[in-house]
Amino acid sequence: MLRIVVGGQIDKNMVASKIKEIGKDSVSVEIKSDIEAAMAIKAGTADYYFGACNTGGGGALAMAIALLGMGMCATVSMPGKIRSDEEITNVIKNGKKAFGFTPQHADQVIPVIMKEILK
Amino acid sequence: MGYVLIALIGGFASILANKGVAVFNDGLRPIVPEYLEGRMDKKALAATSFALSFGLVIGFGIPVSIAATIILIHSVLLGTDIIGTWSPAGKKGLIIAGVVGALYGIGIMVGLQVIVDVFAKLPVNFLSDLGKVGDPIIAAFAVFPAVVVGYQYGVKHGIFTLVASFIVRQIVQYYGVFNIGDSKISLNPEGMALLAGMIIMIVYATREKSDSKALDYKGLFGDRVARIKKNVIWLAIMGGLVAAATSYGLVAGDPISLNLLKDGKTAEAALTAFARGIGFIPLVATTALATGVYGPVGMTFVFVVGILTKNFILAFILGAVVIFLEVQLLELLAKMLDKFPGMRKAGDNIRTAMSKVLEVALLVGGMIAANAIAPKLGFFIVVGLYVLNKSSKKPIVDMAVGPVGAILVGVLVNVLSLIGLYH
Repeated sequence: MLRIVVGGQIDKNMVASKIKEIGKDSVSVEIKSDIEAAMAIKAGTADYYFGACNTGGGGALAMAIALLGMGMCATVSMPGKIRSDEEITNVIKNGKKAFGFTPQHADQVIPVIMKEILK
Repeated sequence: MGYVLIALIGGFASILANKGVAVFNDGLRPIVPEYLEGRMDKKALAATSFALSFGLVIGFGIPVSIAATIILIHSVLLGTDIIGTWSPAGKKGLIIAGVVGALYGIGIMVGLQVIVDVFAKLPVNFLSDLGKVGDPIIAAFAVFPAVVVGYQYGVKHGIFTLVASFIVRQIVQYYGVFNIGDSKISLNPEGMALLAGMIIMIVYATREKSDSKALDYKGLFGDRVARIKKNVIWLAIMGGLVAAATSYGLVAGDPISLNLLKDGKTAEAALTAFARGIGFIPLVATTALATGVYGPVGMTFVFVVGILTKNFILAFILGAVVIFLEVQLLELLAKMLDKFPGMRKAGDNIRTAMSKVLEVALLVGGMIAANAIAPKLGFFIVVGLYVLNKSSKKPIVDMAVGPVGAILVGVLVNVLSLIGLYH
């Protein structure tokens, strides 16, 4: 079972329910404050971090970048730009564990990420 | 004086971005230390800042500013993020950033005036109708505390808050006029409804206590806190400048207070800006502690000071004091947020709620304005744009579709009237 934490700043409930909707019984989803969520990845008690904010990288990933380093984090959408499905798949293959996006793109990016990490 | 203020803001903010002291876009803030500590090169930083900020300037800052003729601060400070990160490092970069930033500030102000002047000269003048974009916000902004409570404690409590704000609103509307001596004081219904909602929201949020141990922020992020404190003077000057420009009626910090200010509703604007400030405490405090980089407007309380202070020199001083206090209290605030997890969540939810309310209000406002400019055609175009934007791979921010759509309709009817397809 994949352990997913939702950190980041806004629309956490929406993000968590979308993850659960796709992952069903193969994932556990927990909503945390961004610092606790990033700590959970660092401590290995969670596998992936999802976060949303209006820029896709600020509130969503600030704590994750500070605690885990840029190497583990990826902004998959920002205002006016969504990364292509291939790009998203590639960043996951490259070992990124924390994903930031803007809430209005949640419908587009969450299914792509889920599909890849559930493989 | 306006030009001097905006040039100072532009120049100074660019320098702060260039030195990595403060950036406005909170998506850029976590990336700055990656550059400062040598894990990312200047080119990558500059490219990222451009990607993060440019779309928001064009697609959000400028359209909202045009519709109300007060500059939304995003138009200036997202641009200075780009200018600062693009300017080279060292002394030379400092001068380049300062000069280009100042010119950019003036450019935005002149540019907006030119656009407004050009619009006024068009065969079909749609400027007065364009102002209608802000109409729904002016009445609807008071609902957001209820939305916050709804997000956090379920829809039942949200409805309770909404009903309470609504009752306050109605009572104030009919009984909120007092005569004290010779002067008549009339309370504003929306403002009081907002205040009532906020009080309920805060009561709910502070009831949630935490039993988890407080995190050791000093141990985790000590160097980074020290870095912000070292730069406090520059940050304070920056905050003072923004407060002064707000007091001067030049800029506003968010679309809601901007539209309220446009209509002269100062007290409501201040209250909204204050609520938004509360919403920004968790975001700014945590990103600042984690990165050692602050924001040129801090937790946005400088706007409250600017709105409430008539004299812009006094606003400068008070704005500087506000930022100074914010920086000194950073760790304390972060610890407080740990003690009251409800407040931290409320802060995040305030920002979610405000953008949801804005999204609907600006969309409806955009439709009303577009329809006033070109009856029926306006609705057709704005609805079409909104829905199509949803399925675009390069969408503009939802909030901006209304204002952008209304402006497009205005331009379109002028083009159509030139070729005889519109009268």
